[in-house]
Parts: sequence; C-alpha cells; structure tokens
Amino acid sequence: MNAATETDRALVDRVAKGDRAAVRLLFMRHHARIYRFVARQTGSEMMADDIANEVFLELWRQAPGFEGRSEVSTWLLGIARFKALSLLRKKKEDWIDDNDAAQVPDAADTPEVVTMKEDKAAALRRFVNALPEEHRTVIDLAYYHGQSVTEIGEVLNIPVATVKTRMFYARKKLGEALKAAGYDRGWP
Amino acid sequence: MSAAEKMSRRDEMETLLPFYLNGSLEGAELEAVEEWLASDPAAMAALGEAEAEFSGTAAANEAIRPPADALSRFAKALDAEAGPVRASAGQSWLAKVFGRVTAMPAGVAWAAAAALLALVVVQSFEQLGGKGNDFEIAGAEDDLAKLPFALVKFKPDAKMSDIAAFLGQNGLKIAGGPTADGVFHLTIPASTAADYDKLVGLIAAQPFAEAVVQGRKPVDGG
Repeated sequence: MNAATETDRALVDRVAKGDRAAVRLLFMRHHARIYRFVARQTGSEMMADDIANEVFLELWRQAPGFEGRSEVSTWLLGIARFKALSLLRKKKEDWIDDNDAAQVPDAADTPEVVTMKEDKAAALRRFVNALPEEHRTVIDLAYYHGQSVTEIGEVLNIPVATVKTRMFYARKKLGEALKAAGYDRGWP
Repeated sequence: MSAAEKMSRRDEMETLLPFYLNGSLEGAELEAVEEWLASDPAAMAALGEAEAEFSGTAAANEAIRPPADALSRFAKALDAEAGPVRASAGQSWLAKVFGRVTAMPAGVAWAAAAALLALVVVQSFEQLGGKGNDFEIAGAEDDLAKLPFALVKFKPDAKMSDIAAFLGQNGLKIAGGPTADGVFHLTIPASTAADYDKLVGLIAAQPFAEAVVQGRKPVDGG
C-alpha cells in the first residue's frame, strides 16, 4: 500500500505507535479542510491556524485511544469544533460580532442592485456565507466535508433530527435569499 | 411530533438532497430520493439547485487559503511535543539539505542535488509501499542511482489524490520521502535534458508544488 492509498485509519494506527511521518501524512490530507472549517466557525484565520495545529497535536496524543467508531475526518472535525467553541467561549471578543456583521449583505444595496453586480453563483456563495452559523456549518459539513447526517450529528453533538431540521432551514433560507435576488427556484 | 417529522414530502426530499449529492445517503432514504427524482418533474430541477449550492459552498470554503508554511510549523510543534526524533526515523537530514540546496545559486544547487543522489538511495526513507493505482513507488529494479531525479516539496494543503493522479499521468515515481519537512525524491522518466527540463518545469507549475530542486539530469548524447 502506498501513501496515496493507505487509509486514514491505518495511518492513525501508525501514529498510535509513535510514527511521526504518519501524522504528517494525515496533516497533508486533512489540514486544509480543518483549517477552513475552523476559519468559518470562528471568522478568524489566526484562530484557525492555531486550532488546526492543535487538532493534529491532539490526534498525536489521542491516536492510541482511537477506536475507529467514526471516520478519521469526522473525528478530526469533532475535535476542531470542540476546540473552536472552547476558544470562542474564552475570548468573547468583539471581532466575532464585527465579522458576522461583515457577512450580512450590504443594506445599501437592494437585492436587484446586488443581482446586477454578480451572477447567481456569486450570489449563492454570498448567501451561504451570510447564513447563521448553525445553518452554515451544516451546509459546509454536508457539501464541503462530505459528512452524512449521522456524522454531522457526531461532529456537532446534536441529534440526527436536529441536523435535518437545520439543513431544512438552511436550504430554505438560501432559497428565499435567491428568490429575493430574482432567482426563483420553485422551493420553498 | 418534531419539526423534522412535520415536513412535507418535498421538504423532506429537499433536506436529503445534499446528502444524496455527497453520497452518504443509504437505505430507505436513498430509495425515497431516487424514487422522487424518477417520478417528479420538479425533482431534477431541485437537484440542479442543490448542485449549485454544492459548488457555491465549495467555492466559499476554498477561497480560504491555509498558510503555506503550516506543515513545517506543525512539524516543529510536534517535535516540541514528542521530543527529539528517534534515531531510527533519521529522515530530517534530507530536509535540512533540501533547505540549503534551495538557497544556493541554481548551478551550484544542481551539482549539490546530484551529489545528494548517492546518499538518497541508501537512506532509509519512510516506505510508501509498492505499486498504487495512480503512481508507483520506485523500486530496486529501477536502479535508482542511475535515474534522473528531482527533489520536490508539496504545499501543505496539496491533495494526495491530485498528486497521485499527476504522478501517474506523467510516469513519475516516488523514490523516497517525505522528510520531516515534506520533501519527496521523485524519479524523472526523461532520456534527454530537454525532456527532463520539460517534466521538472511541469512539476514546478503545478498548484500543489511548493519547491522543486533539480537533481540528476540526463546528458544528451552521453
């Protein structure tokens, strides 16, 4: 088996035995996604940098106890989520609000004006970014991180039904935002 | 009755579409979505909308670029956490040499990298395995000491699947690595200096390549 095909779990087994090359390979495979996940959770790339590094150090520490009940990617996302929330609770700094405000569509522009400035794809990216954090996270985890309903429940520590409810409202809000921008997709 | 249970069939299908698209849906829910897609004229349009969301979310995420030096900083943090590298690992020397070589003038670097080859072939690298689906790990039969090669460092956010596909498409093989700083030793399937330059230039142009140092280069007519 070569580096490209060796499974994440096999690499974690190697990490558990103290193999630093294996943890570096896992870093190469997953760091960018973990970094992006935390950056979007916290709104801070500086925090994402610190936390993403911490996640892989935690992988090094916890590998001997990894039982393989979930995918390695789900496990890492769960660690990242926990660390991000812990740090946010500690900090409670104003920049979080500032960042949220920056993601809200510019009130000076009507939907029609905004639509003139961008195509549908760009509008969609903007609306995804502007979703409330709990909805955007579910969208990110499903569409970008490829997580199942059950896995998202594990990462966020919420019931499966809540994952579905959040997904429903996230997509509903996207549909409504698109409709307001002149892209009626027939649902909701 | 929960909010999820109160959903209409259309609402339920719209909720499941992202999971249908990411391939994680299974069992009764997968069958329900497939049946809906096959029977409801509006379903295919809804799937198209979900695909647009899929693309938009990917673009929004990938607009965030992790720092290029993340892997090297993590390696240092790991060393600080885990203590000195055991003697058996013995891989960091190549990273140090690579660092020195990349700082040299090109001509000197070429000679230094060529001289490094003899050491590379006897060094105990991490074994990356045998033949893979997309690319191969160079074996003893390749007579590594005679093959053209280059030292390559990939970006920390490089996808292994992209690298593997590129290596496979171009007949490149990994002969060793990665070192602590992510340096790989690649054999270059070139019989002329021009072919070698073309392939090394191609590697350097890839979005996942952070640095490339030329090693042994074919001598035309030799």
